[in-house]
Amino acid sequence: MTLDTVVLGELERDALTEIVNIGVSRAASNLRKMIGDQVSLSVPSIDVLSQHRAARLIGEREDSDLVAVRQDFSGPFAGRALLIFPESNSLELARAVTGDTLTGADLLEMETEALTETGNVILNSCLATMANMLKRSLTMTIPEILRGDSATLFEVKDDTASNGLVLFLYIDFAVRKRDIRGYIAMILDLPSLETIKALLGEFIERVVGNDA
Amino acid sequence: MTPESPFYGDGRARAFMAAVGASGSWDWDIASDTLRVDPAFAELYGLGAEAAASVLPTSTFFKAIHSADRPRIRIAIAGILAGAEHFSKEFRVTAPDGSTLWVHGRGQLHLDANDEPLCFTGLFIDVTERKRTEERLRIAQSAGGVGTFEYIDGFATAAVSAEFCQLLGLQPATALPVNTINAVLAAGEPPLLPPPGSGMIADTLEGVFGVVRHDDGRHRWIARRGEVLREGSGYRLIGVIYDVTEAKDQEARLRELAETLEVRVQQEVAEHRQTEDALRQAQKMEAVGQLTGGIAHDFNNLLTVIIGNVDAAMRRMGDAADPRLRRSLENALKGAERAAALTQRLLAFSRRQPLAPKTIDVAHVLAGMSELLLRSIPETITVRIVAEPGIWAVEVDPHQLENVILNLAVNARDAMPAGGTLTVKAENIERREALSGDCPPGSYVAISVTDTGTGMSPETMAKVFDPFFTTKEVGKGTGLGLSMVYGFVKQSGGHIGIASTEGKGTTVCLYLARQAQGAVIELVSDDGAPEAGRADETILVVEDDEDVLAYTAGILRELGYRVIEADDGAAAIALLGREDLAISMLLTDVVMPRMSGRELADRAHILRPGLRVLFASGYPSDVMMRDGRLAPAVDLIAKPFTYAGLATKVRELLDQRTSTL
Repeated sequence: MTLDTVVLGELERDALTEIVNIGVSRAASNLRKMIGDQVSLSVPSIDVLSQHRAARLIGEREDSDLVAVRQDFSGPFAGRALLIFPESNSLELARAVTGDTLTGADLLEMETEALTETGNVILNSCLATMANMLKRSLTMTIPEILRGDSATLFEVKDDTASNGLVLFLYIDFAVRKRDIRGYIAMILDLPSLETIKALLGEFIERVVGNDA
Repeated sequence: MTPESPFYGDGRARAFMAAVGASGSWDWDIASDTLRVDPAFAELYGLGAEAAASVLPTSTFFKAIHSADRPRIRIAIAGILAGAEHFSKEFRVTAPDGSTLWVHGRGQLHLDANDEPLCFTGLFIDVTERKRTEERLRIAQSAGGVGTFEYIDGFATAAVSAEFCQLLGLQPATALPVNTINAVLAAGEPPLLPPPGSGMIADTLEGVFGVVRHDDGRHRWIARRGEVLREGSGYRLIGVIYDVTEAKDQEARLRELAETLEVRVQQEVAEHRQTEDALRQAQKMEAVGQLTGGIAHDFNNLLTVIIGNVDAAMRRMGDAADPRLRRSLENALKGAERAAALTQRLLAFSRRQPLAPKTIDVAHVLAGMSELLLRSIPETITVRIVAEPGIWAVEVDPHQLENVILNLAVNARDAMPAGGTLTVKAENIERREALSGDCPPGSYVAISVTDTGTGMSPETMAKVFDPFFTTKEVGKGTGLGLSMVYGFVKQSGGHIGIASTEGKGTTVCLYLARQAQGAVIELVSDDGAPEAGRADETILVVEDDEDVLAYTAGILRELGYRVIEADDGAAAIALLGREDLAISMLLTDVVMPRMSGRELADRAHILRPGLRVLFASGYPSDVMMRDGRLAPAVDLIAKPFTYAGLATKVRELLDQRTSTL
């Protein structure tokens, strides 16, 4: 039995996927406005994992070092959202976001800014949509950039501080036919996840009504 | 779009939609919360042809959706209405005829210039056939134990089936990281799928891999088959895996069988040859035994006559006779006695000697032998005789035991040409483990004969007691040597062990089972005056050999008994039938023509129950023996017997009878 089947029911997963899908759609729409209409994002797949497993999962999938945009959020449920790319993708993303107008040193200079902005758009869209759809409000911090391997990003090197759960979303970026992929991870403690579960229940009740 | 729109009304559009496999399309207007559908949608939902031209409430969309799938779809639509762009869901639709179809609904949210949701359009594709195919594939996989995978060049993950995960002991998933898949491989195996960034391009998917299942750690063999599909500069791997552990194991067993076949055939042949040799030896020994027994019978009769008559001549000679004559007679007697000893050895060697076991004290036997041993062993050898105090009683033929010990002592002497120490020792031994297959754990009296001589090589030792190989020893030393010892010990239900170190010496140990019951019989020496008989004691002597009959009857008469003679069984029966004859004892030969001594004794007991019978034989044959021992209540005197020997035996028997009566 995996953690996600314990924590979220099938309909709750569907509902959460849908809510994140709305957020991702909004993010894509916003990115389009930023860089033209070349961005589309796939429907995410959802897992709830332990921090250790999430780190291992990304570690297994991605050989290279990672780069992540991090934003903390607080409200009825609190946690940390990460937008994670393979390091090798980040320049490509920066190039796409800047419309291939920059090269060399200029591009490197722009990389952090491009990533921060992209991350802000995507994470903000997702979190804001979640808050909106679940009829609650969240406060978000300013995004920052992290680099390192998956263990660093999920802070599992210090064993004592890593028993949280990770709401793990996998999305594909299609940016002007470039192979850019990324992950959205939300690190939550158990009470926050319980709150989200309860809010999802309310959402389902509203949408499905008598059919449930 | 309006109902008049060519999209819905145009025949060409409908034909186009049908051609792409669409089973219906819709246009959901978000602002007005209304739904428009095409004729195919109306038909699928059973709405009637006119519905395609009208404006419907949006709730119509959910009408035909299977109740189990409806909540899921409501959630998805809620997402779209709130701003999610893509709709892509599979669900069941209940058709008007009641049948269930699988439908893939694909839709798109359209936004207005202000990014506000405008409308939601899409189409249904009937995927029932695909669903069934998937179902067949799933069942084929689970029933056949076949897992599928698809890997696209350069990706970090591969698409897999549930059965694929099951075979490797992984959690069911639709996609697995390649690293996770390759991690189940046993050490030293090549990767099942090319690791990310390895640049490896497979030529073929044919292969067998050892894996250690992730969940239970079992080692299994997995076969991989499939195709490499080239796509531009890259490729796709599509294939299956299945468990071939059983076949692989069988193959290994077969290979091992084939590899060891030659060796095993050689072994079998060697074993077979050994068995054959053993059988041949056994047959030879049996033949020798029979021949020996036959010769012994005739030979002992002759010796009885010779010894008897020499004996008689010496007894009658008187003190005044010529001493040279006496010496000659003594020499003749000695020669005859040696001949008798030789026949005895032959019988022992063939394990046919009649044993008369008695419950005895071994310490007593050893004490009685010390003089004999000292006489047989030269002075260069120190003789030690050690008997532990409180030696248990054993049941064994004392005379044969003496022979055996003497035999071993002589062997020991021969092993010490330059002198040394000979130790004869008796001790009690408790064995917790079996001494050999036929000698169970228990209490034994161990009689060991140890020398400090030349010792034996392991090769010689391996053969020394083997009755099939000891024939090599014939003619050496005391003649039949250890095989006689072996024959005696085995015939007495004991065990024999040997330990030897080349240059250090040899120990031969006899293990005789402790005899818990029965009083120890005091061995009486044969010396002393023969006990006479009385005239009221009548002995019927039956013997087919005329000379032996005459000799035997002569001794008995000389001893004072009344003797009746018969030269065969029939005559004896006739005599026994006469009530007027009082007969104290029947003394009969065993091997006789027409009626054997045994048969005669049986019939005599019918005529005269309680009649004491003494058998005389040089070769008692199997009729007299049970398990190599004389049957209980059978008294036997071995031929050739002497005057004194017969006198003692007859007297003993008659007195025994009197005392028990």
